[in-house]
Parts: sequence; structure tokens; C-alpha cells
Amino acid sequence: MVVLALWPGYCYSDGIVPYYGSTGNAVTDQSLRWSMDNVLPEPPGLDINGVIYSYTIRKQTGDSVDVNVSNENVAGTGYIFRETDSWLPGSLDGTQISKIVPTLPLNREFWGDGSIDVEGPGSVEDASVSYSYKVDPCYNPQFSAACPGYEPPAVDTYSLNYEPYDATQHADYDEAEDRYSDEEGESEEDRSDRESEEDRDRRERLEKALAAVDNSMLFANALAASQALSSTTLSLQTYENKTIFGGIYTDNIVLKDSQLPDSGLGARNGLAQQLLHKQMVNSQYD
Amino acid sequence: MFKHTILSLPILALTAIAAASENAPINGTVQSRCIIQTDQAGTFGNPNAYTLTTSPTDGGDPAVIRYDVTLADAYYAQISIPTSFSSSPTLPDQVTWTGDTTVKTISDATGMGSYETNKLELGDVDRYDLTATGSTWFETTSTAVMGGSKAFPGGNYTAMVTAECIAK
Repeated sequence: MVVLALWPGYCYSDGIVPYYGSTGNAVTDQSLRWSMDNVLPEPPGLDINGVIYSYTIRKQTGDSVDVNVSNENVAGTGYIFRETDSWLPGSLDGTQISKIVPTLPLNREFWGDGSIDVEGPGSVEDASVSYSYKVDPCYNPQFSAACPGYEPPAVDTYSLNYEPYDATQHADYDEAEDRYSDEEGESEEDRSDRESEEDRDRRERLEKALAAVDNSMLFANALAASQALSSTTLSLQTYENKTIFGGIYTDNIVLKDSQLPDSGLGARNGLAQQLLHKQMVNSQYD
Repeated sequence: MFKHTILSLPILALTAIAAASENAPINGTVQSRCIIQTDQAGTFGNPNAYTLTTSPTDGGDPAVIRYDVTLADAYYAQISIPTSFSSSPTLPDQVTWTGDTTVKTISDATGMGSYETNKLELGDVDRYDLTATGSTWFETTSTAVMGGSKAFPGGNYTAMVTAECIAK
């Protein structure tokens, strides 16, 4: 007994304790049907532990009427809750019933749509259905560090499965080692020549690489420009193609060799120009 | 009205034959399986000078009494309507009392649905056979009419409804 009394069991730290509550009236219209999503509050760790309902029966005294208050079972067929009130002959019209029906605590996810169905010649009015519940804030352990099962958030890590690379096992290792040994014994002049040659080779490789990059960029730019042009231009005919037929084309004008006389008109014109020039020059001394 | 029964059964010492004797008490407590509580106190409306009534249409409210029974077919609910004021100003004439008790709400349609049909009316007293476990709410109305159509004097009036749980 002492051990049981002191057994800690499923306990919460300070401030994280389950709390209880009840919903408002789930029946909002005369259809006597309701969706639990519209009735229950938000928390996911909500267990319904009771149904409280009331209504007024409308029937003839001699009639027998069954009234079913139920909720569908989301996880299967049938009902998760169903309470039947059998109004036998002798029960009076206008009698009200008020009931509290405890249920095994079941999480909200099992509770489907609710309804009140009447079987027989009668009806119900002034119906009210509400649900009592218990909320476990630690339903999700990550809700608080004080919850049982809480795990601190960890950064995602990846384990690398690889074997260390041993360069001495490479196929070219022996050749490289021999070369290194040769270099150790070379003279200062040979070493300088070798380094100059290697430096020259490096520059050439770099130039080739840059040239390849430039070519690639030029090609890419040209291709982009071409695609841009073809996307905006329907069909541009830049040149007109003409066909030139083959054959021999001969000269049509032929100048024959002969004596060409001096032009008298030209001579007179030249002399007249000369006279005018002399007059103009002499005029400045007059 | 609650009736809690407390059994106290002292063993009586018989005439001592020997020279010395001792009385040893045996005590026990029985919790009632029938609990009565006032769910709603009634109020009188005053529709005219010579009438006091609990009718809602006249501004009054009936009294509602709740019976909680945890042992089936063991009790009667016996409810008496008022026949006098327990407190009031001095009245100028005789008052005529009428009233009724009905089942308002039940918690078991099958077991309690016939309570009202099967009730026994004994003058101002209505007796119900509580054959099922659960809760039953009884509603009691009351109307007081002053004789000679005289007016009720101004003041506060109180009348009592007596509700009893009687073991079978």
C-alpha cells in the first residue's frame, strides 16, 4: 500500500496539468445534426469523457417513440456513442429529459458527426447536447520541456561512411616518387630551367582554359541573342538571293588607235586665262 | 424536506447477573438513497389585487424540486402544495389555495416516463412511485386568491412546498 501510494506514476511537472471543460450546445438548428469540428475546441490532446443532453419529447401518450442520441465512429463503422431513450406508452407529451452519460475517455479523432434521430410517431424540441472533456497539454510531448517524453530539438546530422584515401596506394605513386628523387639530385641550373618550363606550361594551360571560357561565353551570348531575336521576329529576310548564269561577257566598245589633233578651242581658252592673270598681277603695281 | 435516518442501536444492559457488567455501543450511519434539493425557488406574480400565482404568464415562477434516487423501487416522492403562508402581513380574509405538481424533467425515459401518469393524488398531496434510479425534477404551481375579492396587503409573502422521500 505504501509503495502504491508513493508510486509517482504518470505525473507532470509544475504547471503542466490536464484540465477539464465542456462544450456549448452542439445543436444549432432544427436538423438535429452537427459536426464535431464545429463543437470541440482546438487542442489535439482532447479526450471526451461524457455527453450531456436534454430535450422535450413530443408524442401522444399512447405512442411508443425511441430517441437516439449518437456520434459516428470515425475509426470504423457504427457509432462511437449511442444512447437510446425509449418513451413507452404512458409517458406524457412535453416531458423533458436531462441526462449525463459518462463515456470512456476517447480522443477527439474518434468522434464523428453527431445527431438526434427519432424513431416512431413523435419529435423532439428544445434539444441541447454538450460534451465534457479532458485536455492533456502533453499529448504532444514537444509542447513543453516539462512534458514526459520531451526531446530537445537536435540539428540534423549525416553520418559519412567512407574509407580514408591512401595516396601511397595510388598507381602513379611510384613514378611520382622517382621523379621527386630525381629532382632532389639536379643542379641549380637544371632546376631553374625546369621551373621556367613548368611556369611556361602553366601559363599556356591557363590561357587555353581562359580561351575556352571566353569561347563558351561568346557562344552562349550569341545563342541567347539568337534565341531572343528569333522569339521576337517572325521571319526576317536579310538578303535577296539572285542566280547568275554562266557564260562569256565581251566588251561592246572598242577604241581604235589613231592621231588625235590638239584642240584649238582649248588653246585659245588657255591663252585668254593667261592674259587675264597677267593683267591682274600687273594691276597691283599700277 | 430531507429525512436522514441515523441508527443508533445501543445494546441495553440486561439485569446483571454477575457482579460486574459493561455496556458496549454499536453505532452506524445510513446514507439516504434519496436526496431532495430545491432546483428553483418559486416566485409569486400578482396579476391583480386579490391573486398571487406562480403562473409564468402572470409574472410568477413555479418551484422546481429535484429528487436523486440511487436505489430503485424503494421510495415514494410525496409533494404537498402550499395551503397557507408561512410568513405574510396580516390578512383581511380567508385565502383559497390551488396548485398542482407535475413531472418536469426525467433522466430515464423508459423507467420514469410513466411517473406522471401513475401518480397518486391525495388532496393537496401528490405521491409518485420512484421505481427507477436517477434524477427527477418536479414542478409545483400554486395560486392564492383572497376571499371576497379583497386586496392582499402590501408586504412579503412566503409559502412552502413540502417535499418528502418516503421509504416503502
